[in-house]
Amino acid sequence: MDSVSSARDGNPVLSRQWWRPGLDASSVRWVLFVAVGYYLAARLGFAFTLRPSPLSTLWPPNALLLAALLLTPSRLWAWLLLAALPAHLLAELQSGVPVAMVLGWYASNCSEALIGAALVRAFVPGPLRLDTLASTATFLLCGVLAAPLLSSFLDAALVSLVGWGDAGYWELLRTRVLSNALAEIIVAPLVLTWGSFHFARLRAAPPARHAEAAALFAGLLAASLVLDLPQIGLHATPALFYAPLPFLLWAAVRFGPTGTATAIAVMALATIWGAVSGLGPFTGHAPAQMARDMQLFLIAVAAPLLLLAAALEERKRVARDAREQRLQLTHLSRVAMLGELSGGIVHELNQPLTAILSNAQAARHFIANNSADPQLLGEILQDIILADQRAGDVIRRLRTLFKRGETNFETLDANTLVRDVLRIVNGDLVLRAIHAEIDLDEPLPPLEGDRVELQQLMLNLVVNACEAMGGVEERLRRLAIRTRAGTDGGVVISVTDNGAGFAPEQYERLFEPFYTTKRQGLGLGLSICRTIVRAHRGRLWGTAAPGKGAAFHVHLPAMRPGRRP
Amino acid sequence: MAGVSYIAIVDDEEPVRKALGRLLRASGMEVECYASGREFLDGSARRRPDCVVLDLHMPGMSGLEVLCALRPARPSVPAIVITAHDAPEIRRQCLAAGAADYLPKPLDERVLLNAISASLRAAKTPENRT
Repeated sequence: MDSVSSARDGNPVLSRQWWRPGLDASSVRWVLFVAVGYYLAARLGFAFTLRPSPLSTLWPPNALLLAALLLTPSRLWAWLLLAALPAHLLAELQSGVPVAMVLGWYASNCSEALIGAALVRAFVPGPLRLDTLASTATFLLCGVLAAPLLSSFLDAALVSLVGWGDAGYWELLRTRVLSNALAEIIVAPLVLTWGSFHFARLRAAPPARHAEAAALFAGLLAASLVLDLPQIGLHATPALFYAPLPFLLWAAVRFGPTGTATAIAVMALATIWGAVSGLGPFTGHAPAQMARDMQLFLIAVAAPLLLLAAALEERKRVARDAREQRLQLTHLSRVAMLGELSGGIVHELNQPLTAILSNAQAARHFIANNSADPQLLGEILQDIILADQRAGDVIRRLRTLFKRGETNFETLDANTLVRDVLRIVNGDLVLRAIHAEIDLDEPLPPLEGDRVELQQLMLNLVVNACEAMGGVEERLRRLAIRTRAGTDGGVVISVTDNGAGFAPEQYERLFEPFYTTKRQGLGLGLSICRTIVRAHRGRLWGTAAPGKGAAFHVHLPAMRPGRRP
Repeated sequence: MAGVSYIAIVDDEEPVRKALGRLLRASGMEVECYASGREFLDGSARRRPDCVVLDLHMPGMSGLEVLCALRPARPSVPAIVITAHDAPEIRRQCLAAGAADYLPKPLDERVLLNAISASLRAAKTPENRT
C-alpha cells in the first residue's frame, strides 16, 4: 500500500484496496491503533462509574470495537478481536476483577461487536457512514438494539456463573443492555463518522465555517453544563433538559452526521460527567435508577438526531446530484450544438489559415526573386500576425464553450454577448447565406450572469433561427438580433427569423424537453435555454405567426442592488 | 494577353483577397481583386481576365451565382472556385456549373498555380474558343 495515499485518505483501511487480501503494514497499524483505542476506552468506562456502585453508565470499548469492525474489511476482523485481548486484559486486570470474569467479559464484548458488525454488514455492504436514512436505521436496529441485547444474555450468564457481584441475572441483563446501547449510540457514530472523514475538507473550509462550528460547540457545552450547576441540580425545571436541543439540531442541519455525532458525544459526556460528580438533574436517586434515567434520556435524544442528520445529508446529496446532472446536460447540449456548428467553425478557421499560408508563400517568392521590398514584407508579416490572432480568437472562444466548468456569475454586457455569439456563428451564417441585421441599444445596463451559459442560450436561439430558414430562398433569409434596455432596468434580447414560424398550439410545447419540430435534434435546446434563463431570474418566450417567422425574447433582470460593477 | 496573365480574385474576406493577390503577383501575374461577385461582373465587363479565382460563400451574390452569370459569355472566363467549407455536394455543383477547378482553402501555392496554368492552357485550346 502506498503510504502517501493512505495518509491522504485519512483512514488507511478505507482507501482503495478495500477487499484486497493480506495483512500489510497499514492494516497492522490500524489493528494496533484500534487496540490502543480499546484500552483507552476501557479506562474511560471506569471513570464513568457511579460510585459507590460498581456500575458504569457508559462502557465505550465494545462500541469502539463494533465501529472499528464496520470500518474494516471482514478479513481483518479476527485480527482486530485478537488485538483487543491484550488491551482488555491490561485495562481490566488493574481493577481487581477475577481472571475468569475478565476473560468472560472479553468473550461477551467481542460477541457484541461481532453480532452488531455482522448484522449491519449484511444489510449495508462496505463502510458504514451513517449518511443515509436506511444505513442509520440499520445501525440503530442492529448495532444499538440487537447487538447489546443478544450479547447481554451471554454476559449476564457468565457473570452469574463466575459469581461476580450480587445482582440477579435479569438485573445484570437490564443494566448491561442499557449501558451498552448508550455506548453504541454515542461512541460508535463518533468513530464511524470521523473514521471515514476527509480531513482535507476541514482544512479547505472557510474561516466563517470554523467560527460557526466553534460557536455551536461552545453553546452546546454551556447548555449541557448549565444543568450541572449545583444551584440548579436537583431542582432543575424539566424545560432545562431541552437547553442543548437547539444546538444539537443546529449540528444536524449544518454539520451533517459527523457534526451531529460529535455534538451528541459532547452533550452525553457533559451530562455523564455531571452525574458522576454528583451534579445535575439525574442525581438524588439510587445509582442504578440514576444511570437508567440518564441512559434512556441520552438514547432518546441521540436516535432521532442521528436519523435527522442522515435524512438531511441524503437530501443534500440528491440536490447536489440534480445540480450536477443539470450541469452535465447543459454541457452535453452545448457540445452537441458546437458539433452542428462545426462546418461554420471550420470555415472561420480556414479563412485566416489561407491568409497566413498565401502571405508567407508570397513573401518567400519576393525574397527568392530579390524583389523583397522591406515595407511590403513588413505589411505581409503584420497581416500574418492579424490572421493568426483571428484564428487564435476563434479557438479561445470555442475552448471556453467546450469546457465543462462550474457556473460563474460575473458582470456582463448584453451587446458584447451578442457580438461574441455572432463571431462564433459567423461561419455558419456565411455558409447558410443568411443576412444578419444587428440592432444594439447602447449603452445597456450591466447584467449579472454566467458568460458561457448565456452564450449557449444565445447560440441556441440563433442556430434555431438559422435552421428555421432552411426552406426560405437564400436571398430572402434574414436573421435579426436586437437588444433593448428594459423599463425595469433589465435587458431584452430578441432573435427573429423569417422562417416557417410555428403554430399557436405548438407554442408551450416548444419549451418541453424532447419536443422538437426538427427532423434531427433531441428537442432539448429550448428546454435547456429556459433552465438557463430561470437560473438568471429571467424570462424566455416566443412570438410567431406561421409562415412569417418566429421571434424569441429573453428578458434578463437588472443586477441585484449592492452588486454594482 | 501575351506573356503576363491577368487574374481576377473575388473574395469577400479582405485578408484572404490581399494574400492571394500578393502570392499571384509574386508569381509574376497581373492581379485585380474584387470584394463581391457584383463588383467582379462589372469589372470584368471592362477588362476580361484570363482566369478568375472565385470564392464560393459570399454575401449577396454567391460564387455559384457568379459562375452562372459568366456562362453565357463566349468564350467564358475560366473560373477556379475556392472555398473554406469543402463538401462533396458543393464540389459537384460547382463543376456542373462550369468551374474549371474546385480548391478547398487553405490553398497551397503549387496547387493554385497549377490549377491556374491548367485552366489557362485549356482556355487556349480550340474547342474552348467556339
